[in-house]
Parts: sequence; structure tokens; C-alpha cells
Amino acid sequence: MLGAVPGYAETLAGTAIVNTGVLRYDLAGAAQTIASNTVTLTVAERLDVRLSHEGQGVILVAPPSALPTVVPLTLTNADNGSESFAIAATLSAGTIMLRGLSIDVDGDGRYDPSIDLPLVNGGSAPLAAGQSVTLFAILAATEVAGVRDAALTVTARAITGSGTPASGFAGGGDSGSDALVGPTGAAASVVVPLATGLAGPSLFKSQSVRAADGSQAAVRDSVITYTLEARFDDAVTGARIVDAIPVGTVFVPGSLTLDGTPLSDAAGTQASDAQGFSIVVAIGQVAPASVHTVQFKAKIQ
Amino acid sequence: MITRPMIAAVLSTTAAVVSAAAGPLQVTSSILAESRAAAADGTTRITLVKPSQITPGDKVIFVLAYRNTGTQPLANVVLDNPLPRAIVYRSANPGSPAPDVSVDGKTFGSLGTLRVRSLDGSTRAASPNDVTSVRWRLASPLAAGSQGQFAFQAVVR
Repeated sequence: MLGAVPGYAETLAGTAIVNTGVLRYDLAGAAQTIASNTVTLTVAERLDVRLSHEGQGVILVAPPSALPTVVPLTLTNADNGSESFAIAATLSAGTIMLRGLSIDVDGDGRYDPSIDLPLVNGGSAPLAAGQSVTLFAILAATEVAGVRDAALTVTARAITGSGTPASGFAGGGDSGSDALVGPTGAAASVVVPLATGLAGPSLFKSQSVRAADGSQAAVRDSVITYTLEARFDDAVTGARIVDAIPVGTVFVPGSLTLDGTPLSDAAGTQASDAQGFSIVVAIGQVAPASVHTVQFKAKIQ
Repeated sequence: MITRPMIAAVLSTTAAVVSAAAGPLQVTSSILAESRAAAADGTTRITLVKPSQITPGDKVIFVLAYRNTGTQPLANVVLDNPLPRAIVYRSANPGSPAPDVSVDGKTFGSLGTLRVRSLDGSTRAASPNDVTSVRWRLASPLAAGSQGQFAFQAVVR
């Protein structure tokens, strides 16, 4: 842990700093030793807390029929003493419900309702100085209809007190020491963007058929042009579009394009099973609010 | 590994010498904090006050005031202050002579002359964080009735 003095753990609240000086001198040729008075200072408890959520993206809250969505947060006691924290959560959308708040009791990083029990009276158990725990916010959508731009706000406050930095609570610290609010205000909050329904990437597939005679009849040797339109609301990485060549058709070599640019068959297709193969287009990193279109042709056998 | 004198040992010394405090040399220890206030001339005035609450990272000033209350000069006056465990030495306080320091409680000197031995047997230059004890030595006898003070700055771990 990085303390107030780098490389040293912070002195715990309630620790007595005891100082005595020793004087030696010679009087009439004889060595004498005396001690000063002893001064004692008790280290106060500085109340500080941190709360964070990893990742930047929008979290898609599961529909009512599915398992609830668990949002993990990290709660850190940044005190130099033991402290409990009051946790509160608010949701900006009425169609998302907070099912509960739990501490990851067994520390395995996974929410297990039988182990990670709900907070008692909205507060955490005492955390040791510098200790971090995972806090789960359990959410569920109450309607299937989509909601965008929703947010979960979670706030943690030191039970001993919070507010203006340096305001004090006489005797409120560990072992009877004084407590005072640290630079964080002894309160921290985190906002997690949420959405329900259709948020997240979507893929829309359409087709057009052209027969040898120029008609749209789906007959032998007619060519089907498939269009796959992928829409991304948020930035994602590792995006990939996969589509199997339909049974009864054969892929038209050299027909695969991404956003109008031809892709080589070697790079864009792969055998998927005994019957045939699939187109596999790796898009990779995708910017927010972007659309990518893949097209390929297949001939009816 | 750096060892420090046990606080309990220092305390027992204190108890043993209470009667000696009536002797000709008196020393008073205090731990103070800086209080900064804007002065009328636009400068910042720093005064030393009794700290209300101290927390890790706070700067504190250790002051040792001495006085010869006797009628004879006192020779070879040496003032030792082993540092409490929660305290990290920083420097002499402005206006105070610089102390000799020690990283082992035995060898004293200026910080630049001291080295710290690591677990693997190698040594490195000592830093203020390594200091475990400070010492001042009066170069000349302390005349009857005269007084002075030493002070150093430190930080609470």
C-alpha cells in the first residue's frame, strides 16, 4: 500500500506517538543523564473512501425474464483506520429496478446470492485500513421496452462522518482517537451508464435475388446478394461478423465486401462444417455510433 | 534491517530520572505543528502551535528546549532523541543547528556520510527515511543561566 510517506504503511488511527529526549552532560567531572518530559500525540483517524467501476461502456441490463444484471464496483477504505460505509444507489430510469446491494463476501469476484448477502441496514461491515472489497449492484429491467442513457449512481459515505475536508469528530476515531474528514470528503460516488432493450450491437440481414433472365425469381443459377448491416452504439473491440452460406447455394468467389471494399476469399471465408463454409469478417475495433456493412453473393444450385 | 529502541525502554528511563530533573540542566520536549496565517505585509507567517489532530502525512516539529539552571558551566552536553516509530525524519527546523543523525542508533554523523545495509548485503546511501535517531552536541560548555533549543521537522507515516 502506498501511504502518506511513500514506501511505508500509514500509521493506524489511535497509535500513540511518544517522544522523550535524553540529555547527557558532565558536572564537576561526573557524567549525568536526564530525560525530558514525555510528549504523547495520538494519531487521528482520517476518513477517506474510494469507489470505482472498471470499464467505460454502457451496461445492458437484462430483461425481466432473464437473470438479473450484476454490476461490480470496487469499494476501498482509504482511511488510516477501520471504518464502515453507508452505501446508497439511485437509478435514473423507472424501468430499471435495484434488486439489492451486496459485498463479495468470499472475495471470488462473482455474485453468489447464497453467500454474498445483502448489506445490513445499507452499510458495509467494517473494512480495515486500505482494504478493498467488491460491491455488487444487482439490477433488473422491469419492462422489455428499450431505455437508453440511463444511469446507476452509487454513493459510499464513511459512517463516522463525511462532508467538508478537515471537519472533525472528537473521539470518533479508532481507539478513542479523534476523526476528521480527509481530502475525499469521506464520500465517493460512481456513475455507471445503463441501457435496456435494443441497446448494444445489432445485426440486420437482407437479401436480393437476380435470375439469369433479369427477374427476381429464385431459380437454379439465380444469384442472391446478402447484405449484413451491423450497427454499434458503443465502441467495441474484436467485432466479427459470421454468416453461414445457406444450404443449397454456393458462394460466388470474389463477391465478399466490407463497406464496399472487396475482401479476399482466403481472408473472409472458412470451412464451417461438412456441408460448406461461412463468411467470417473481422472488423476489430469499432467506433461508437458506427455502421459496417458486409455483402456477399451466393448462387442457387 | 534497521532496529529502533523500544518506546517502553525510553519510558522506563524517563521514570528513573524524574528525580534527576531537579538538577542544574533541564530539558523540555514538545511536538508542534505549523500554523500559517497571512500577515499584514502580505507574507505568510508561520507559527508553531500545539497540533489539534494529526494524521499520516502531516508535518510535525519536534522541539527540545534546554536550560542550565545551576551556577556552574556544564560541559559535554549531548542531547539524544530516538525517533518514535511512526515518525519519519525530514530536516533540521529553520533556525536550529542541524543534528547528527543515525540509521542504527549507534553511529552518528551527517546524513551524507551514512549508508544502509540491505538484506542482500549490499549498501546504499542513507535517506532521511532511514533515520532512527538524532543527536546534538554542544561544542562549548553551557554557561550558568544560559539556554537554547534544538528542533527538527518530521512527517507522520
